[in-house]
Parts: sequence; structure tokens; C-alpha cells
Amino acid sequence: MSTQTEDGHDDHGHHLPAVEDWPRGFGEASWWPFVTAIGGAGIYIGMALWILQDVVGTPLIGVGVAVGAIGLFLTGIYGWLYHAFITKFWSREITSAGPVSLRWGMIAFLGSELATFGAIFTYYFYYRAGTEWALPDAVPIESLTGSLIIVNTLILIASSFTLHWAHHAIRHNDRKSFVRGMGLTVLLGVVFLGGQALEYYEFIGHYGFTYAEGVYGSAFFGLTGLHGLHVAMGVVILSIVFVRAVYGQYSAERHLSVSTASMYWHFVDLVWVFLVVVLYVGAAL
Amino acid sequence: MAINAQIALTVFMGVLLIAVIAWLTRIEDWRSYSASAGGVVSQGERSEYIEQEKPAGIVRWLTTVDHKDIGILYGAYGLFAFAVGGLMVAAMRIELATPNTTFIEPAVYNSLLTSHGITMLFLFGTPIIAAFANYLVPLIIGADDMAFPRINAIAFWLLPPSAIMIWAGFFAQPLGLGFGPAQTAWTMYTPLSAGVGNDPAGGAGIDLMLLGLHLSGVAATMGAINFIATIFTQRDENVSWANLDIFSWTILTQSGLILFAFPLLGSALLMLLADRNFGTTFFLTDGGNMLWQHLFWFFGHPEVYILVLPMMGIVSYVLPRFAGRKLFGFKFVVYSTLAIGVLSFGVWAHHMFATGMDPRLRASFMAVSLAIAIPSAVKTFNWITTLWNGRLRLTTPMLFCIGFVSNFIIGGVTGVFLASIPVDLVLHDTYYVVGHFHYIVMGAIAFAGFAGIYYWFPLVTRRMYQATLGKAHFALSFIGTNITFFAMILLGYGGMPRRYATYLPQFFTLNAIATVGAMILLVGQIIFVWNLVTSWLGGKRIESGDPWNLKEDGVHTVEWQWLDRRIETALTDGGDEEPIADGGEVRTDGGTESDDN
Repeated sequence: MSTQTEDGHDDHGHHLPAVEDWPRGFGEASWWPFVTAIGGAGIYIGMALWILQDVVGTPLIGVGVAVGAIGLFLTGIYGWLYHAFITKFWSREITSAGPVSLRWGMIAFLGSELATFGAIFTYYFYYRAGTEWALPDAVPIESLTGSLIIVNTLILIASSFTLHWAHHAIRHNDRKSFVRGMGLTVLLGVVFLGGQALEYYEFIGHYGFTYAEGVYGSAFFGLTGLHGLHVAMGVVILSIVFVRAVYGQYSAERHLSVSTASMYWHFVDLVWVFLVVVLYVGAAL
Repeated sequence: MAINAQIALTVFMGVLLIAVIAWLTRIEDWRSYSASAGGVVSQGERSEYIEQEKPAGIVRWLTTVDHKDIGILYGAYGLFAFAVGGLMVAAMRIELATPNTTFIEPAVYNSLLTSHGITMLFLFGTPIIAAFANYLVPLIIGADDMAFPRINAIAFWLLPPSAIMIWAGFFAQPLGLGFGPAQTAWTMYTPLSAGVGNDPAGGAGIDLMLLGLHLSGVAATMGAINFIATIFTQRDENVSWANLDIFSWTILTQSGLILFAFPLLGSALLMLLADRNFGTTFFLTDGGNMLWQHLFWFFGHPEVYILVLPMMGIVSYVLPRFAGRKLFGFKFVVYSTLAIGVLSFGVWAHHMFATGMDPRLRASFMAVSLAIAIPSAVKTFNWITTLWNGRLRLTTPMLFCIGFVSNFIIGGVTGVFLASIPVDLVLHDTYYVVGHFHYIVMGAIAFAGFAGIYYWFPLVTRRMYQATLGKAHFALSFIGTNITFFAMILLGYGGMPRRYATYLPQFFTLNAIATVGAMILLVGQIIFVWNLVTSWLGGKRIESGDPWNLKEDGVHTVEWQWLDRRIETALTDGGDEEPIADGGEVRTDGGTESDDN
């Protein structure tokens, strides 16, 4: 009970969370969360305005607001990362609680991602397990297990290995291999996204298989789209780590964001393997 | 008439909005508050200490990353939403005072029905819990702040835009923008919500609501991640899992539930949005309606526990303080919390007994739903046993705690009947269900919220509320709740279907009684707001960090010790010295005496 939990901290040793920040000179104030939140909410408002295109007159307003909001959002993220993690990177004291909390934060986030993907997988399984399962005519069944998808899967799996190699390297202070590994991983991520775009182009353009093509169309584009979005986000995250690596950050003792970014990337990779098995291979079995 | 009512409502909401903004701009400049947040305040002057930590004026609130300030922001937001949702239902109850349409048109009634539910659950319930948790958890577990102070601030600032989008339809309709508020009920069942045909249930208002809900879900998930990381990693060395307080346990469990419930709803909302706007067929093919219900209730039922568990935590925390005892069976309260957390993901289909789902599945859901009554009863008996032979002091927070237990018993027992398939098939979609869950959400969840607000009011404001008004608030709330919702339970037995703006004349008497009860509730809440505002601005200042005389009974807790130190620091001027605890009651650093029960 709480009466027993004496607190051992005194307020004079209180760690202020935002000593170096904008606005300057305060320990508990930062504009970045507000900017990031307005940017994040702006994306939704942009989508709302796009939906309301009949009311506001043109879809361009919504698109414009969304693009501007993404810019604002990224600016907020940049400022936040810059002040919280990048300045004083080397002089910041490494407390045991800091890294552990960020790891737990990432683990909890990945747990929530299970549910995010889970909803659409549930949708797919709900119909796939039904007796009336049939693929729409437009689905190119051979292409579902064709060379493009195999190569793309191998690329994504390879990127997990290159990332692990990079992480391993920085733990041994092998900066050169670390930077190479990170760069290679980002490159493989981008190639994967290119492969996905090519696949969409072929399916939609050549075969006329779109998201409006019945249950499988919704499931296919819903799941691959959601996953693609996560890969894109992963590429952004890994690029941030890569750029910081190029600028000379990280060492054998300080590589926390490499770990958290890795956790995310391996997770996205695992989801892809599961997705390929059930959605590509499992569609026509 | 109906148009006038609509305009009146819109104007009223606008006025309320402006009033709250005005109030907020006042408290940011309100001197005595900053004392508890930052240190020293002498007459009329801000001390240097505060100037160093936080900017002045409104900028302080926009930029704050302090968990206490963010907690206050959450609280103000939650109470504002509570007022909006309450006024919405007041309009609905006035309409239901007579069998026929008199005050508002059925379409407006449907919109209010939808928004009342969504407002109370997503914009009041979740944020008000976040308010308590933000302010208290870091203090109680001895953390400097939340694990991620900036994410904490982002999560809050996502909420106001989400509220605007959820309510957008109410503003759009009078402005003639061609769409209105959603009329889908908070469950948003397809095909009604999927926009087939000419989309009679609100048009783009539904899209905006879906977007707003998704945004609020993102915010809730960020908060949950933050709480998990905070409770796992930021505890003081003295705070082990064995002596972690009950409130933090419930917040941890709740965060775990949010982590899996909200993102799933988020994906389902986006799938629905895609169906409405892009021509996908997530919920439009055969079986899609059932799928929506499965996905929705897989979120929806844990959501009930997301709201009630932390409130149970508040009651478990506050009630022993005024019983002069420790919480009886502390361990079992924790275990039952965890048990409810796990079981809550296995009961969702009891909302769907009448849909014609597979009877074998239905029976298993009935079994789990009945089983969840066991940990709930464990808690109830523990609260009662805590009161047994205690030295009870019937302060306002204590009254609300006891009211919570009382209402929770009625709400819980009516729920056990609903969990039984044959009973449910008779009572499904009647006012019995409405009465049952309002006993929980109003009678229990809101009551625990009031208990918490009164109990920690001196901690946050360093002033005391007006006790007489507090007790009046309790009496009116308790009487109002029981009149309104017991009448609804009886209406349900009589077979009155829920969700309609009109009803058959034979239900008139009980409906009139329910409306009278709702008006009593409304008066009680007006007194509450009045008490809160006037006491915050000019209430009696508290002298020590123990306004509840908890030391006498040996149930003084860390957050009051923290306040004690704050006050001491203020008195010793400048805060250079370690504050000396008065009476030697407050143990200083490291002096843990963990008598674990």
C-alpha cells in the first residue's frame, strides 16, 4: 500500500526534463510537443477537408493542409529529437533508467502495433476461413508467388541482417562497418518500397486488381498498404539514425536509438514474413 | 421549434467554450496555484525559482512538459467534455419527458445520443483518468516526471483537435455546410454507419467523427505507453512491485488494456472510413456487420474496464484513508485487478448474444462474462471489509467512495443478469441495459472521479473546497443517479426499447421520473462546477500538507508528504535547505519501513 512506499527522492535533485529547449531558459517548457501535436492533428484535419471537398470547393485544400501539417509534424519531431537527444549527445549522463524506459516504450508501442495489424488480419481470416472463399477474377494468382514478391521478401529479410550487423559493429566500436551497415539497411528498405510500388503498379495497371476488388482486394491493399506505411516510417527512423551516425554519433556505450530502431525494424520485418505466408501464399491454397 | 432548439444548443456550447477558455486564461495567471507546482510564492510576486522552470502566462500551459500541469490540462479538458456531454443528455431527457416529439426532432435526438456516448467515454472518461494518473503516479512512485515528458504533452494536445472533429457536425449543420452530426450511436454499427445509399446517418459528420476518434485513440495509446514505461522504469528505489500502490497498479493494468484495445479500434475505424470514401468492402460484404461488431466490442468491452479499473483504484486508495485503516486484502485487490484485465478481452461477444451467432461460442462468452463477476465481487467485499470496524469520517470524498460501492453493486448485479443468455435475450436493447451501464458509468465511474477530485483538490490548489456544497453535490448526485437509472431498469423490465426519441404512452410515468432524476443530477453538477471554480479562486487556504488529518490514523501517503515538503520549502524561503518535517511524522529520504501485508 502506498503508505509504505516512502518516497526517497527530494525535490532539489529533481531532474528537469527540458533544460535545453525552445523556449530557452526554462526547465519544464518546450514548444516542440505542441508543434508536433498540431502537425499531427493537422494531418487528420487535412484528411477531413479532403473528405469535405464538396463543401470547401476543391480537394486541393485538404491535400495542401495535410502536406503542410506533415511538414509541421516533422519539424516538431526534428526539434524534439534535436533538443532531447542530439544536443549534448556525448555529455548527457547515461542513467540506467533512461535507456530502459525507452526500450519499454518501444516494446509497448510494438504491442500496440500487434493490435493495429491484428484488426485487418482478423478481417482477412474471418473471410478466408469461411466456406465461400473465392479470389476475384482479376487477381493474378501466379504473380502472388512470383519472382517479384520472392525477391522483395529476401531484400527485406536481408535488411534485418544488415541492421543487426551494423548494431553489432557499433557495440564493438567499429564505426566504419556501423555506418556501412546502416546505409545498406536504409537502401534495402527503399528498394523494398520500390518493389512494393512496382507490384501495385502491375496489379492495378496491368491486371486491374484494385482495392475495390471484393474482400481479397480490401484485405490485400489494406494489409500491404499498412505494412508499406510502416516500412516507410521505418526508413525515416533508420535514416535519422544513419545521418546521426554519419555525423559521428553513437559509440559502444551510447547506441540506444540504434537498439530501439532495430526493434522496430525487426518487428516490421517479422510482420512481413507472416503477411507473405498468409496473404500471398495462403490466398489461393 | 426544433431548429430553434438546435441553434440554442449550438450557441450554448459556444458560450460554454468561451467561458472555459476565459477560465483557463485566468488560472494561468493565478498566483497561488504555482506554489504547489513550482515552489515559492510571496504576496503578489513570482519567485525566481518559478521563472526558471516555466514561462509566464498562457505560454506556460502551451509549452509545459510538467506532468502536474499536463494533469491539470487533462482535468480541465475532461470536465469541459463532461459538461458538454451532460448538457447533451439533459436535452435528451427533456425530450423524453413526454412520449411525443416536443423539444428536439428525432434526428437531433439521434445525434445527441451518439455524441453523448462518445463524449462521455472518449473525451471525458479517458482524459479524466489521465488527469489523475498524470498528476499522481509520478508523485506516488517517486519519479521525477513521466518517462517521456514530451510525448505526454503531445498526447494531450492531440485531444482538443479530436474533440473539434467529433463535434464538428453540430457546428456544420447550423452553418449550412451540408452535413450534420453523426446519428450512428456510439457503437457505429454497419451498415448504418457505412454510408450506403444516401447516407442518412450524418454524411461527412460520420467521417469527421471517425477521424477524431482515431486521433483520440492515438493520444490514448501514447499515454498508455508512457504510463507503462513510467511505472516499469521510473519508480524510486524504495518502491518495489510488492509495495507499489493500488492506484498505480490499476493504471498499469488499464494502460495494458489500452495498448491492445485502442489500436484495434483505430484500424477498424480506418477500415470503416475507407469503406465510406474509397470503395473498399471491409464491412460491406456478407458477414461484414457481424465482423464490425466483433471488432468494435473487442475494443468496446475492455474500454469499460479501461474506464472503471483506475476509478476502482481511486476508491481503493481514498476509501481506506477515511476508514482509518489499511485497505483490506490489498494483494487480492491487485490480483483481482489483473484478473479483470485479462478476462476483459474474453467477454466481448456478450454484447452480441441477440445477433444469431454460433450458440456454442455464445455459451463460452456467457461463462467468461459470469466469471468476471468474481474478481469484481472480491473488490467489493474488500471495500466493505475495509469499512468494517473502521473509524469512518464521512467527508465528501468518502461519501462519493461509499456511493461508488453502493452504485457499483447495483450496476454489477444487474450486469450479472445480462451476462446470462436467456435473460439477455429478453432484456436486450431495452432500457434495462441503459440503466445497468449508467449505474456503472455515472454511478460508479463518475462518482469515483468526484471522490478523487475532492480528495486531491487541496493537493492541486492548496485550497479547500466548500464542504457544504460538496455534500450537497453528493446528495443530489446520489439521489439523482438512483432515481434516473432505477427508473430505467424498471422501464427495461417493461420492455421499452432504447435509442428512440419517442415512446409509447404507457411508459410515461417512469420516463417522467427519470427526467426528474436527470434534472436533479444536473443541479448537482452545476453546484459541483460552482464549488470547484469559486473554491479554486478563493477557497480557504490549507495550512499543512495534511488537510485530511491522515497522520492521526497513520494513513498519510506520499503525495501529501510531497505537499508537506513543498509548503515547508516555501516557508523556509528559497528552498536552499532540506525542509524539516513538522512533528517528525514525515520520514526523510531512504527511511523506508515497508510493512507489507
